[in-house]
Amino acid sequence: MTTRSETGSKRFSLGQIARRPETGSFIGLAIVYTFFAVLGGPVFMGAPGWSSWLNIAAEVGIIALPVGLLMISGEFDISVGSVVPASSMMAAMLSGHYELPALVGIAGGLGVGLLIGFVNGLIVTRTSIPSLIVTIGVMFAVMGLTLGFAVLLKGSTSVSYVPDPVTKYFLGQFMGGMFNVSILWWAGFVAVFFYVLHVSPIGNWVFAIGGDRESARNAGIPTRRVTIGLFMASGFAAAFVGVAQVMTYQQANVAGGQAFIFNSIMCVVIGGVLLTGGAGSIIGIVLGTMTFAIVNQGIFFAALDPNIGSIIIGALLLTAVVSNDKFHSLAVSFAAKKK
Amino acid sequence: MDMIAGFLRRPAAASMLSLVGVLVFYGAFAGADLGQLANAASWLNYAARIGIVAIPVGLLMISGEIDISIGAMIPAGAMTTAIISGYYELPMVFGIVGALGIGVLVGLVNGILAVRTNVPTLIITLATLVAMQGIVLAGSKLLTGSASVPLKSPGWAKTMFGNLMFGGSHQVVIIWWVIFAVAFWFVLHRTKYGNWVFAMGGDKESARNAGIPVNRMTILLFVLTATSAAFVGMCHAILFNSAQVSGGMNDIFNIIVSVVVGGVLLTGGFGSVPGVFVGALTFAIVIKGIDFTDINRNWANLIIGIMLLLAVALNENFRKLALNYAGKKK
Repeated sequence: MTTRSETGSKRFSLGQIARRPETGSFIGLAIVYTFFAVLGGPVFMGAPGWSSWLNIAAEVGIIALPVGLLMISGEFDISVGSVVPASSMMAAMLSGHYELPALVGIAGGLGVGLLIGFVNGLIVTRTSIPSLIVTIGVMFAVMGLTLGFAVLLKGSTSVSYVPDPVTKYFLGQFMGGMFNVSILWWAGFVAVFFYVLHVSPIGNWVFAIGGDRESARNAGIPTRRVTIGLFMASGFAAAFVGVAQVMTYQQANVAGGQAFIFNSIMCVVIGGVLLTGGAGSIIGIVLGTMTFAIVNQGIFFAALDPNIGSIIIGALLLTAVVSNDKFHSLAVSFAAKKK
Repeated sequence: MDMIAGFLRRPAAASMLSLVGVLVFYGAFAGADLGQLANAASWLNYAARIGIVAIPVGLLMISGEIDISIGAMIPAGAMTTAIISGYYELPMVFGIVGALGIGVLVGLVNGILAVRTNVPTLIITLATLVAMQGIVLAGSKLLTGSASVPLKSPGWAKTMFGNLMFGGSHQVVIIWWVIFAVAFWFVLHRTKYGNWVFAMGGDKESARNAGIPVNRMTILLFVLTATSAAFVGMCHAILFNSAQVSGGMNDIFNIIVSVVVGGVLLTGGFGSVPGVFVGALTFAIVIKGIDFTDINRNWANLIIGIMLLLAVALNENFRKLALNYAGKKK
């Protein structure tokens, strides 16, 4: 950010490109796409292929954005894995079981996410307990609450809800019969988060907090409010995915959602965010999410054993982190050619 | 008074209090018959399953690192044993050596990556977790054509690793858990290696400057966590006469929670083996003991979550107490 405005001159420089955080993720994406395009053929490169991986990318991508921001600021959020089923349960319960208007269900579901995020943020900022532990504890508690209340109020672990056409159109529709409308929502989230991280001053605050929390506070940054806000953003995003799932599949389940925990972290890391905080970009996270989704879905088009996909993702992750490590030291130690 | 203060400063204090708290809660408010609970095997078996892995994971966390690949290593150990000794019908010894070998190998990979790069170990082991899951599943499909492999083990292997004891349903892994706990207690609290582990968790750079072989110790600890997870998987394959590729994912969080409830500081430098032992016991009593109470078992996770946060908060305060404590008299 700062380096870009300081150097001013838009001179093309290999060093400058190599030290951008998203370079590695872009190379990874290109290699992975080519690999599966060769194996999967025209079906993978056509609309069925694109819709299949974009649908997956949209769901995990919406969550990966705030999780990435949190990781840039040096924190973790494991609880997203329990917010997804909790919010979809809340939405289905309000609108399906109690037959309240869809808007109430949506607001309730999103409210659950915001509340859980607020609790996370509050505990993280008021105590010295690492956020990994705080959000694991909150995850367990929310899982128990979701299951307990579902069985108590509904007597079953799943609730069905048939949304009205308008709600379905905005949150659960398949465009052209294939592309889930969440893809558009994902694009919207990307735009908002891009603005927040790379244009607004909040973005600089997030980077500063990830670099050194103490100095950031001394520089006058409201670190507590930013941290709580970020946790609320990740709760909101996970809740949004949960609500959209109800509208798409017309059912909410207490289980499920666990996969989002590690999947979102993997997208973020493949996207070049350093786990230790202080570095990363929205474009990188989007590229990482796409790479993850292409491997995840491409494997079916390539007629390979689906389990090979896990091996590829593991290898990709290792390559990504090791090369990010290199890129980052390159970036930090980089001095422009001329003094 | 001094005794109480001394107890509270120990890393195991919060886990002991959690255990007592859970027992009181279950016994007094939830109508659990504690006598019946004491005789039941379900929670002890479960405690042993997570406890054997929790102890080395605790050591690793004391040294400031974390290992989540254990979630893939439990099924990996089970599958390796079953494929070698069940599917290929090689002698049991090869199955056991194979399972432990896989553990050593993955531990080496984790450890070497941890010391050679600056990548946080959470991410390194997340990568090996995902990769090992794929390798175990794909390997099993490739070699045996199925995701579940039967295993018939000879009598001695059954006796050592997969028996039920006391004529009831207590598994022999409970004994192994106690052996592991005593061995690791001795290493951590009575040998210089234990001091090294604490020193590494306190400040890696200073530890290295003090002449501690930090890299070798880190690799060794990763080998221990992966191998003990593979060991648990192997015992289960021998006990249940078969191995499935699934399972093990929940164990990741369960084991980390046990360790943290056991008073280990995630950032390193603080913790104890007795604490982790009690932590695993407490976790198992909450999860499995709830069946003996009037509480619907669906609420078990809520109790775990609250207990974790309370225990950690207590630990924080006790640790401050320990760090600020100066003896009463000058």
